[in-house]
Amino acid sequence: MKRFYLFGFLLLMAFDTLSQVSFKYAGSQALPVAASMAWIQRVFGQPWVYGALIGYIGAFFTWMSLLKHAPIGPAFAASHLEVVSVMLLSIWLFDEPLTLPRVLGATAIVAGIVCLGVAESHQHHAAAEPGTTPN
Amino acid sequence: MPAADPASSLVAGLWLLNVILDTAGQLAFKAAAGNPDAGDGLARWKHMAARPWLWLGIISYVAEFLVWIAFLSLVPLSEGVLLGSINIVAIMIAGRFLFGEKLTRLRVIGILLVTLGVTIVGVAG
Repeated sequence: MKRFYLFGFLLLMAFDTLSQVSFKYAGSQALPVAASMAWIQRVFGQPWVYGALIGYIGAFFTWMSLLKHAPIGPAFAASHLEVVSVMLLSIWLFDEPLTLPRVLGATAIVAGIVCLGVAESHQHHAAAEPGTTPN
Repeated sequence: MPAADPASSLVAGLWLLNVILDTAGQLAFKAAAGNPDAGDGLARWKHMAARPWLWLGIISYVAEFLVWIAFLSLVPLSEGVLLGSINIVAIMIAGRFLFGEKLTRLRVIGILLVTLGVTIVGVAG
C-alpha cells in the first residue's frame, strides 16, 4: 500500500508540474487578461492549454483513486510538493531567478507540508493500534 | 503590492477567487469519493455520477482552470505556485469544520508554516 501511495503521489506530482508549466505558457500567450470571450478564445487558440488539460485530467483520475483511501488534508498536502519541481523548472524555462524570499517562502511551505504529512502518519499509526491514545 | 494599483488588485482578486474555487472543488470531490457504500470500479463511478457532488467539483475545477491561467499570466510561475499553496490551509480548515478532521498540534504547526511561507512570498517576492 505504501508503494501504491508513493507511485500515486509521484504520478500526481508529474501531472501537476505539466499543468503548471502549460498554464504559464498558455496564459502568457493569451495576454492581456480580460473577462471576455476574446480572452477565452486566445487561451484555447494555442496548444499549451491542452497540455494543461492533459495534466489536469491525469491528476484528476490519480487524485480520485488516492482519495478513496487517503484523508483529504494530507493527500492534498502531499500533492502540493510540486511547488519544488515547478520552481526549479521555472529557472530553466522562464529565466525566473531563485530570489531569497522565494527560497525562504518555499522552505517554510515545504516544512509545513512535511509537518502535515507526519501528523497524518502519526494518526494512522494511532488508529491502527487500538488502545493507544490518539494524539 | 500597493492595493491602489489596479494590476495588483486584479492579481489579488484572482488569487482569492482561486482559493475559494479550489476549496469548494476539493470538498465536493471528497464528498463524492469518500462514501464507503459507493462500491467499486464502474459501480462507484455510476454512484458518484448520479449525485451532485462530483459535478459541483467539476464545475468548480473548470472555473478555477480559467482563473488560474489568468493569475499565472500576471505573476512569475515560481511565485504563483508558492502563493497558491495557501489552498492547503483553506482545505484543512474547511475539512476541520465540514468533515470533523482533527487539527492536531502538528497540523496547526504545518498550517502556520505554509501561511508564513505564502506571506513571505506575497510581501517580499
